[in-house]
Amino acid sequence: MTTTAERSPAPTGRTGTTTPVTRIREHARTRPDAVALRDKHLGIWREWTWTHYWDHVQLAGHALLALGVEPGDRIAIHSENRPEWLVSDMGAMTVRAASVGIYPTNPAAEVAYLLEDSGARVLIAEDQEQVDKALEVLDRAPQLERIVYVEPRGIRGRYTHEKLMSWEEFLELGEKHRSAHPGAVDAVADAAEPDDLATLIYTSGTTGPPKGGMLTIRNVEFAIKVLAEEGAFTDPPPGPDDLLLSYLPLSHVAERIFTTWFNASSATQVNFAESIETVPQNLREVQPTVLFGVPRIWEKLMAGVEIRIAAASRLKRANAQLWLRVAARIGDDLVRTGGVHTASTRLRYAIGWVFCYRALRERLGMRRVRYAASGAAPIAPEVLKFFMGLGVPMHEVYGMTENTAIATANRPGRVKLGTVGEAQPGVEVRVDDATGEILTRHPGVFAGYWRKPEATTAVLDGDGWLHTGDVGEWVDGTHLKITDRMKDIIITAGGKNISPSQIENELKTSPYVKEALVIGDGRKYLTALVGIELDTVGEWAQRRKLGFSTYRDLTEKPEVVDLVRSVVNDVNSRFASVEQIKEFRLLPKELDHEDGELTATQKLKRSAVTQTFEEMVESMYGGGAR
Amino acid sequence: MSAASPVVQLDDVHLSFKGVKAVNGVSLHVEPGELFAIIGPNGAGKTSLFNVISGVYQPQEGRVRFQGQDVLGRKPSDIARRGVARTFQNIALFEHLTVTDNLMLGRHQHIGYGWLSAFAWWGRAKREEIVHRRSCEEIVDFLELEQWRGMPVGLLPYGVQKRVELGRALAMEPKLLLLDEPVAGMNLEETEDMARFILDIRDELDVPIIMVEHDMGLVMDLADRILVVDFGTPITTGTPDEVQRHPDVIRAYLGQELSS
Repeated sequence: MTTTAERSPAPTGRTGTTTPVTRIREHARTRPDAVALRDKHLGIWREWTWTHYWDHVQLAGHALLALGVEPGDRIAIHSENRPEWLVSDMGAMTVRAASVGIYPTNPAAEVAYLLEDSGARVLIAEDQEQVDKALEVLDRAPQLERIVYVEPRGIRGRYTHEKLMSWEEFLELGEKHRSAHPGAVDAVADAAEPDDLATLIYTSGTTGPPKGGMLTIRNVEFAIKVLAEEGAFTDPPPGPDDLLLSYLPLSHVAERIFTTWFNASSATQVNFAESIETVPQNLREVQPTVLFGVPRIWEKLMAGVEIRIAAASRLKRANAQLWLRVAARIGDDLVRTGGVHTASTRLRYAIGWVFCYRALRERLGMRRVRYAASGAAPIAPEVLKFFMGLGVPMHEVYGMTENTAIATANRPGRVKLGTVGEAQPGVEVRVDDATGEILTRHPGVFAGYWRKPEATTAVLDGDGWLHTGDVGEWVDGTHLKITDRMKDIIITAGGKNISPSQIENELKTSPYVKEALVIGDGRKYLTALVGIELDTVGEWAQRRKLGFSTYRDLTEKPEVVDLVRSVVNDVNSRFASVEQIKEFRLLPKELDHEDGELTATQKLKRSAVTQTFEEMVESMYGGGAR
Repeated sequence: MSAASPVVQLDDVHLSFKGVKAVNGVSLHVEPGELFAIIGPNGAGKTSLFNVISGVYQPQEGRVRFQGQDVLGRKPSDIARRGVARTFQNIALFEHLTVTDNLMLGRHQHIGYGWLSAFAWWGRAKREEIVHRRSCEEIVDFLELEQWRGMPVGLLPYGVQKRVELGRALAMEPKLLLLDEPVAGMNLEETEDMARFILDIRDELDVPIIMVEHDMGLVMDLADRILVVDFGTPITTGTPDEVQRHPDVIRAYLGQELSS
């Protein structure tokens, strides 16, 4: 295991190590009654002040001490985003233990792997569903001593397992420990070292089992310094007036930055979405000022606008279409200027604001967004431009677990569409001359993969460079453009190198396309498997009085196949002939994490999907009958 | 299980329509906290039994007691007020109203203010409305309906509509819940969700349930006791195990192939 200790100085000069936990303690001292977190309870937003938040973090810390947790131990958290997630995460950090986030959608088999691999001693499980998964695989994780459940429903009175404990009992335990040993948690927290393991972030693993990326306190504090304090994303940097909506999985590094670390460093207010399904409503209620989304979210929001306009009355539709055309041209101009308004765009936008944009942005929940970002996967430029035209300052950013998500970002006013932006200040980013692979080096580079030294040496070389596995090139010497994941590049039978993700993202720009998988490695021509979006295609079919029963039935309608064909033809017209899709098939089912077709972050597992639908693929190359 | 105070008790109930025997001498009792299922082939008289309990049909013979009181001859609205709530085979909701509004309608019998104070939106009306709205939100939370709160029910998927209907029955704060084919027409995932909700209603809300259902897997998994009827005539009552082994049941209902 390489350490980052020699490469960088400690991030602060104060006595004792600054950590997110000491930052929260400081907020609780200086702004005790300000609102730190908000969650929705019975339809009403409930506020957590900094005092309340800090008190809970301390109680969780005391409870963990009472359970015998020691520095370096792992605490697993298996839950949707909610205050208890942050309390558990920060509670673990106060006693110098490391949190391990498990995706709520992780099926039991993966939960078993993560519990076993991480060696977690305590698991915070949200509800009966997650407790069931843990109990099912308990024999594979013998070191797991306690399962703390947050929602008692279905568990209390029905389950009698001796390892189970409710969240209330957990906090009571903390309360007792605190009265018996006041100051015990603070003593441990103040002894924190920059090399303490802060968290294990398991990578999604499109190939092979997930690997636990080890992020240390130093890594986390570097991310806070660069991304929050120095404002490498937003300008001005995030602050107490900023509102954020927390809705993407906290087990992912990106949401951890925008939710937990921004909040700890800059006292931004975190609002927890009720669930991933209620995100559109919650966005409207909260009207956040800083909004991060993955491409799938932005695509869905954009499709939502188009669908709603199609269903509107004629007058409304005409008005919206007119102003969306204007917005598209404003977007074009902004792309040319890097996101800086000109007098002309300002004027057009001001008029459009009165007739359309204000209402539309209010409906989208983006009325107050001063900074929006897309990351974690590649996105089609059209989607970004759509939001830029509506006046949402949109920025594509780039980073990964292994560098604590610190690499490049499009800076406000210096946006170059189609690139992931410029290197963050104080960060080395290099494109390897021979392979084109992107390398990064800075104090945010992780300490390695948990218990996988070979995997670590494969990505982290002796000079401290992280090999990202992404292929890229410089645009105008300043902005980085990512071609694809190294292993995903298609080399056709004709020897042509093709990046499938660009074509796939163009396809996914259509509101009717949810998933796209371009195939062609070692083949004569390119083909694609396309998954339709049930909501939009379903509505499209209903408007045309096309009856259908199931998803599969819908995909077999010739009209739907024609609809997708027109999308494919449209995309083909934008690519050179070798990059055009000659054949396509519609996937007969929605891809699913539980069926092993998507990763926990909803990324497509190429090999799994091509294997499952092998016959379909072969039928496009003349083999097998359809 | 104490036989002392069953929630509902039917003694030797006979119901016929112009000579057709719909219910022929059925007796049953449901204990507090019990999940009681009624199964039988189509036209076996299962729904008729529901209609007898909820007062829609008046049996010619027999006795129906609810919480120890004779309710035979009472109007359906009176029986509903006493705490019997039900869902229907075919969804019976107000399609153009939102989920919350449909749930609020379920609160109807608990609403104590008059139209005048409701119109003025003042005093008691306002205070009570907040209480009712809260209990509706508890149901939204319980049945995980958050994302559909403000949507007209008619636009929702079938499985969700069924859930809303269940929610409306719960909004009455029932003492007994009658579920008429709660998972009919649902896919596997929706069925599993519904099964979880039914168990939670019994265990968490402590509401006894009588359920009519064709999905045998669901019935055998969930029910504490089962009554089997055939052409209105009771065959047997017992635990899922006992019922599954009963020779008459195998013959009459589950078919011959199961016994081989």
